[in-house]
Amino acid sequence: MIPVLLGVSFLVFTILSLTPGDPGSIILGITAKPEDIARLNAEFGYDRPFFVRFFTYIGNIVFHLDLGTSYATRQPVINSIMARFPNTLLLAAMAMAVECLLGVSMGIISAVRQYSVLDRVMVVVALVFASIPGFWLGLMLITVFSIRLKLLPVFGADTLRHFILPTLTVSLTSAAGLLRLTRASMLETVRQEYIRTAQAKGAGERVVIWKHALRNALIPVITSMGTGFGASLGGAIIAETVFSMPGMGTLMTNAIRQKDVPTVMGATLFLAVMFSVVVLIVDILYAFIDPRIKAKYRNEGRGRG
Amino acid sequence: MKKTAFLTGTILALCLTTGVFASDRTDINIAIDSDIESLHPSDWNTTNEKNIGDQIYDTLMYVPMDGNMDKVEPRIASGYTQSEDGLVYTFTIRSDVTFHDGTPLTAEDCAFSVQLYIDSEYQGTSADVGSVEAPDASTLVVTLNAPFAPFLSDICAMHIGSKAYHDAASEEDFMTKPIGSGPYKFVSHAIDTNVILEAYDGYYRGEPAIKNVNYYVIKTTAPQALMSNQVDFAEIDASALPMLQAMPDIVVSPVPTSGYSHLVMNLEKAPFDDVRVRQAINYAINRENIVNVIYEGEAEVNSNICAKTRYGYSDDQLQYTYDPDKARELLAEAGVEEGTDLGSILCAEKYSNLATVLQADLAAVGLNAQIDVKEFNAFIGQLTSGDFSLCALEMTLEGDTQMLEYALTTPFIGMANNARYSDETMDRLFEEARVEPDNEKRLALFDEILNKAQNEAVYAVICNPQILYAYHKDLTVTDFVLEGNYYLFDYAWN
Repeated sequence: MIPVLLGVSFLVFTILSLTPGDPGSIILGITAKPEDIARLNAEFGYDRPFFVRFFTYIGNIVFHLDLGTSYATRQPVINSIMARFPNTLLLAAMAMAVECLLGVSMGIISAVRQYSVLDRVMVVVALVFASIPGFWLGLMLITVFSIRLKLLPVFGADTLRHFILPTLTVSLTSAAGLLRLTRASMLETVRQEYIRTAQAKGAGERVVIWKHALRNALIPVITSMGTGFGASLGGAIIAETVFSMPGMGTLMTNAIRQKDVPTVMGATLFLAVMFSVVVLIVDILYAFIDPRIKAKYRNEGRGRG
Repeated sequence: MKKTAFLTGTILALCLTTGVFASDRTDINIAIDSDIESLHPSDWNTTNEKNIGDQIYDTLMYVPMDGNMDKVEPRIASGYTQSEDGLVYTFTIRSDVTFHDGTPLTAEDCAFSVQLYIDSEYQGTSADVGSVEAPDASTLVVTLNAPFAPFLSDICAMHIGSKAYHDAASEEDFMTKPIGSGPYKFVSHAIDTNVILEAYDGYYRGEPAIKNVNYYVIKTTAPQALMSNQVDFAEIDASALPMLQAMPDIVVSPVPTSGYSHLVMNLEKAPFDDVRVRQAINYAINRENIVNVIYEGEAEVNSNICAKTRYGYSDDQLQYTYDPDKARELLAEAGVEEGTDLGSILCAEKYSNLATVLQADLAAVGLNAQIDVKEFNAFIGQLTSGDFSLCALEMTLEGDTQMLEYALTTPFIGMANNARYSDETMDRLFEEARVEPDNEKRLALFDEILNKAQNEAVYAVICNPQILYAYHKDLTVTDFVLEGNYYLFDYAWN
């Protein structure tokens, strides 16, 4: 993990240094005096050479656990991150729950009843939702639930109610993809020999689907959900923008625009850590879903010992 | 389930109460499009920071942005005198002004705050200030090394902060937990969420009618928030206008600004060094069309770099109108052939539509140009270094008309003089306007400056975009002057 983080930080730091503009002139604008710009850049330490800045930055993290101070807000980067990450995490978790509930269950039904009217309807609906742009869906939800019905708020992240519309915006579009993936994976599995064997030995349809087919079909679905969840920790920029929610996505985009190097770096590293943790959890989950994987690890362990 | 029903009930009840008892309201919810980072008296940077600071901090006097000296009002200073030579300004500071922490405001705080502005990288004054002194608690004396005519409007735009608080608090607290002497005191700020203010009961002009002010950070859906009654006041985009005009209880007011949308011609490059070519380009632009297509009608057509309500503007100064035949004539006179390639119109993404329409206007008089869209910071870099032929953008040079020297005089080439225009007479005229104390004479100087800028077609200015404020019809607001600064102290619900 540490080489990954070092690599990520070096890469991002380099790219940021290569982009045009310096923080002083971006903050102060076109009418600023050159000496004021230089003074501000010196205050940020931005006038020093690239490698000095990079190693000072890494040094502060390693020795002081300090992610630095934002150029724009002049406050510790960790504060900016912690003000937003809980919202992002909650939104990602709620969206995944809804996505999973809708996508996986409808995918299973669709596969089991392949070519039925229900299947065709669901596939078409999924296609429609997968094609709807997120910001448009968000605005339509606002029009219906906030302006017409006055039931749900347009902006903010104070209570769970504020999360309902953003969650729907994020999950409806991605649930569609998950439905299609689950359906395809299920259809492939039910054609396998061991399913026919299970049916031949007289197991009921329920048992065959739940115990034999689903478990095997879920592996690609979980992989997709895991990476999807990891990525959504980076923030749902569209939902955050439409619903004015403080989240990681808008934090990063604003920071990049303002060339707020410490904030971009801090947020990137934070997300890299989070993403690694999620991938690890997904790997562990595999073992629970598919005993063959657990067995493989156990055998390897035994072989070495 | 029960909880949902209860919540829905409460919301419905809330909607009903706000509808019925609107007149009893003493709070206001305002949308801002981006979060604030600083409420420091001098080290602020964005319009939102200025607008919120305007409620928390008071100023020495109130001078409207359009420079209308008849409307100057006393605030912390009950009055001022100016020495014969125009160098020494003496302000009399009221004795009944207190900061939000209860401590009295003295001339020393004023001197400290003025000095903060002078030293600030973010704000400041173009005046050459010699000294800022407070000989006693009620006198502030500012001495300039050279006369600077717009100094009064400069100094009266400065937010007055507390010296004692600055010395006691950490730099971060001073910036993010402001203590002012204005009508509203700061309560809290939640990152990217809201800023809350409440009326200061010790305000020397009396307590305002609106007691609680909530600024909400709403990035793109301010019109929707207005329509669902979640906010009462917001700045909106012209594109939201049809939607809001259909709402019976929302009023939209257009506010003039001094910002200008324009086409820059790089005077260091041929053929733009020929005044006839620049005039031709000015005649080739269909400004009405641009205002309708790009600004949805919410901008004032004006080919003058000085906005129409700004100090120094006159209808007698030359206005370029759409006249493609005249443009072709001038081009022929200048020896520019049909189909000449002018190079590219440099622009950032947000100006690319403007550039496209300008490209079509130029093509109609036989001038070819390509469009070169750059990332914003790269765009600014290329613009200030002069590495372009044409450039489409909006600029704001707020404050006194003297600020136009940034766009028109030699020392600002490489900063905001994007046309890279350098003319000794123009530089001298701005120098004279800078030190001219007499109003009539100063107006005459600006008349000469603007006539010169127009006749020489230094820029191809298109229009002044307007700010649109949308608010609830029951909210009494004051007239918005140039730039749309507002003071909630004067607002009330009827």
